[in-house]
Amino acid sequence: MLRKAILVGTMCLGATAVYAEEVPITGNVQSRCVITTDTPGVYGNPNAYTLTTASADGGVQPIVRYDVTLADAYYAQITTPTSFAQSPSLSDTVTWTGSTEVSAVSDATNMGSYETNKVTFGQTTQYDLTATGSTWFKSSSTASYGGDKAFPGGTYTANIEAVCIAK
Amino acid sequence: MNKYFIILCLILLSRVATAHEMIPTYPKWKLSIYDGLLVTEMEMFNKREDVEYYEVAVFDDKWNPIPFVSSFKLFKLEYLSKVKFDVYIREQDRERTEYICSTSKLRNNKAPAISSMICSRFK
Repeated sequence: MLRKAILVGTMCLGATAVYAEEVPITGNVQSRCVITTDTPGVYGNPNAYTLTTASADGGVQPIVRYDVTLADAYYAQITTPTSFAQSPSLSDTVTWTGSTEVSAVSDATNMGSYETNKVTFGQTTQYDLTATGSTWFKSSSTASYGGDKAFPGGTYTANIEAVCIAK
Repeated sequence: MNKYFIILCLILLSRVATAHEMIPTYPKWKLSIYDGLLVTEMEMFNKREDVEYYEVAVFDDKWNPIPFVSSFKLFKLEYLSKVKFDVYIREQDRERTEYICSTSKLRNNKAPAISSMICSRFK
């Protein structure tokens, strides 16, 4: 009896229609520039009147990655801060210095000239992204408080601006 | 040795990389259903966990703003989500329109942040 029930059950299961659907996956490949925040920066505080991203002073340099899929189609512009996005009330002026350099590249042969060909205006550095692939840019930023006065206690935040412009 | 390798991999994988992208790089204006307005479709993808809003703007070649209409000038775009949006300009502004840009709007972050801006260009 039990054997018959198992047999009937198995036949029923076997008779169940099996539906197979093909699920399409579509993709669209286009030229693009992707800006990726690789490492947010941290300000170190080596003395009372300086905030700096220099690693020797306890800071961390921010790193931005640009991925481009079309050669010679984009400019990368990176601007280091010229003001705090968040800070305690400051009564004196802050002097800002900053710079940006290529930290790493995915194609050393075709991207090797990025650093020598960069153009700097003010706090902004522009790179001509002439090859496809990834480029990592490392920035440094230093803020010095006026007249070597001590920065008031509190949280200080400043933002790097990373721009990718089609040529 | 393997233990250290696994720990190193975990440390490397735990670094959150976040990205902002907008396509197409070279959009084209098309006639819209509205009289005197041209339209182009853009697409944005938010892989930045620290950013929820993006602002769209249109500029000429000297970075002067050009009036435009879109569903929103400030988009709320959830992490890992994609949005397609139409940008309309007046037909008379066609020749001087050079860039459409999207800029990440940073919240009042306590940690230093990186603001990203991507500009597509009309050729």
